[in-house]
Amino acid sequence: MKKLINIFSLFIVLSFFQGFADPVFSFEDSGDKFAKNFSEKPPEAGSIFQPSFCLNKSKAFERMDELQLALFYMKIANTLSPDDPEVSEKIINLKSKINIKSGDAFQKGKIFYQQNKFEEARIQFLTALRYKPDHTDALDYLKNKLIPKPYMLYSPKKDDSLKSISEKFYRDPGFEFLITYFNDLKPNAEPVPGQSLKLPILDPELSPAAVDIPKKITAAKGLLEKKRYQEVIGITDKILKNDHSNKVAIELRNEAFYQTGMELSRQEKNFEALTMFNKVTPGYKSVDKVIQKAIHKEFLKAELLLKENKYEESIHLAERILSHDPSNMATQNLITTAYCQQGRSLLIRKKYDEALKILGDLDPANDCANKIRSAAQKAINVQAESHYLNGVKYFLNEDLQNAIKEWEKTLELNPSHEKAKINIKNAKSLLEKLKKVN
Amino acid sequence: MFGKHRQSRVFEDFVLLKTMPGDTFSSLASTYLKDPNKGWMIADFNGIKTLSPGQELIIPLSPLDRGGLKADGYQTIPILVYYNFSDSRSDKMSVSKDDFETQMNYLNLNGYHVISLDQLLNFIDYKEQLPEKSIVITFDDAWGSIYDIAVPILIKHGFTATFFIYTDFIGGGKAISWDQIKQLSQQGFDIQCQTKTHRNLAVLKKNESFKEYFNSVETEIMYPKKLIEKTLDKDCKYLAYPYGETNNLVIAMLKKHGYRAAFTIGRKPASFFVDKFRINRSVIYGSYDIEQFKKELSAFQKSELK
Repeated sequence: MKKLINIFSLFIVLSFFQGFADPVFSFEDSGDKFAKNFSEKPPEAGSIFQPSFCLNKSKAFERMDELQLALFYMKIANTLSPDDPEVSEKIINLKSKINIKSGDAFQKGKIFYQQNKFEEARIQFLTALRYKPDHTDALDYLKNKLIPKPYMLYSPKKDDSLKSISEKFYRDPGFEFLITYFNDLKPNAEPVPGQSLKLPILDPELSPAAVDIPKKITAAKGLLEKKRYQEVIGITDKILKNDHSNKVAIELRNEAFYQTGMELSRQEKNFEALTMFNKVTPGYKSVDKVIQKAIHKEFLKAELLLKENKYEESIHLAERILSHDPSNMATQNLITTAYCQQGRSLLIRKKYDEALKILGDLDPANDCANKIRSAAQKAINVQAESHYLNGVKYFLNEDLQNAIKEWEKTLELNPSHEKAKINIKNAKSLLEKLKKVN
Repeated sequence: MFGKHRQSRVFEDFVLLKTMPGDTFSSLASTYLKDPNKGWMIADFNGIKTLSPGQELIIPLSPLDRGGLKADGYQTIPILVYYNFSDSRSDKMSVSKDDFETQMNYLNLNGYHVISLDQLLNFIDYKEQLPEKSIVITFDDAWGSIYDIAVPILIKHGFTATFFIYTDFIGGGKAISWDQIKQLSQQGFDIQCQTKTHRNLAVLKKNESFKEYFNSVETEIMYPKKLIEKTLDKDCKYLAYPYGETNNLVIAMLKKHGYRAAFTIGRKPASFFVDKFRINRSVIYGSYDIEQFKKELSAFQKSELK
């Protein structure tokens, strides 16, 4: 009898979708974006609502250990075939499997958590949640217990005052304003035993009393011996935030930066080394000398690039040197020479405009630049004159349009060419008159 | 039972239907999921990219995968942060127009869904599911070049983005103006806070007392929030830490004043179980080529969850 009912249900479901024999044409949803990586093909039309399709889908997901999806498809199968005992049984089995697997993972997670193995605990709570997305306890661990709180909760004792609590937690009774602020209390409020107070946890560098400077100095010294310079810098920075003039910390910090710079210098990373050396107090050890040495090394590189006619690279490098040592005369001269040589090269290649542009920013009194500028300008004037004469030739041949074009080229090259200006005006006027006559 | 005009059956957890001409993923999502932007959920679940009339679909009525958890790992959301832009040359903090266009084009062509911060936070709050390749785009500091160069490219690709602004900078020489900010907000871009003056919230200034520091941090957090909300008539509930730095006191203060989340700098992309007040964003530097850019787009973290 049950079998008959099942077949009947299937028949009803299939009959819902009869008559959908429209020609299949595809229409994309342009207002929407979809996932574009599909690993599986869509099922063939007509099969998706058959209980067997959903049953198979469910089994496939179960094999992949995706039990929620397996359950989802099994529920659809159950809807399509409500009286199929196999489906009902599968649902019960899947739910039971989900409960067992999520429960196991959650228990493992709690044990790891108690052992302060937070990463391992997190994986287990995620596993519990994957099996059972509504596992509120696993979610609570992931979203609350495993995320550090910016404050701790404190329940006041009898005889506690805000000042005494402040003294106890911040080693400074003056920090009581933090307690009133974060608990919306009035300044003179008395804490009530049993109430829960939020006490923000201060990072060590914000709480001077909490920074154990001698201990940190000892640690920094040990790290310096082990050449762990970055850590020394980190520790001394923290000390100096609280005690700006701590001489030992300044000394340790200087040494860490100095040694880091020396190491970078040995690796030919001179600019990085300079950045380190510049953080050292001037006059410390031989820092001024090593700065000059690093700069000189880079200067030699810039000079070599210039010799190889790599003007732009040479200038770029020289400008980097100047950003560290703005008054370095040799580098300034090198830049001028590089520009001059680049200008000369452009002049030879008849790129007069570019030559003038390149030399535009150089000192007007610079001899070399002036000579090139003058030569470039002269060449431009010659070109302008050539166009002017071409224009005259066209004019004499009564080709006014081309004459104007040539004179306009003249003006482009030499905007103060008065004859060209007058000739253009006259030629245009003549053209107008000719138009009227015609 | 089946509706009058289409063949569909609505159950407690899902809908079974056959599509009709004119149906789109958006229209179906609007009808059954009450949100036209969730068309991707229907497409993803059914493993299809296009619809044909008469196509049979299953539409789950609630998210089946809120945390993006799979047997072999979990979903992560890359959050990109850009600073400045230039027309041609790029330097460390400036991305060139061409590079940005190439990057956005890559996202478009490779199926990335650019989502809003609200969508991200609904995912982090374990309320909503996200498309598998979701990504967030943010901009810090509010340089004028963002408006001139990046925004037209975002609009061209139909991408949303969040602008974290520090309000003292707005209207200054090279900064974006308030009129431009209003325009962006009206266009649907998200305007959020990056403090008032861009001070480092985690560090006391030289010779600054703790009380002075505390008052300063409160101003940095409260003033721009009020100003943005008053000027734009929209919620300001997210903050990007200047220099990416924060501490417990700052976080406690943000929580007290109703911020929903805050963002730092770091390369680990966000998962749903991230600390909401220390969410990493990856800086996209001007020196990045497309291969380096791709490395910042990790949308899945492998980890055996069995």
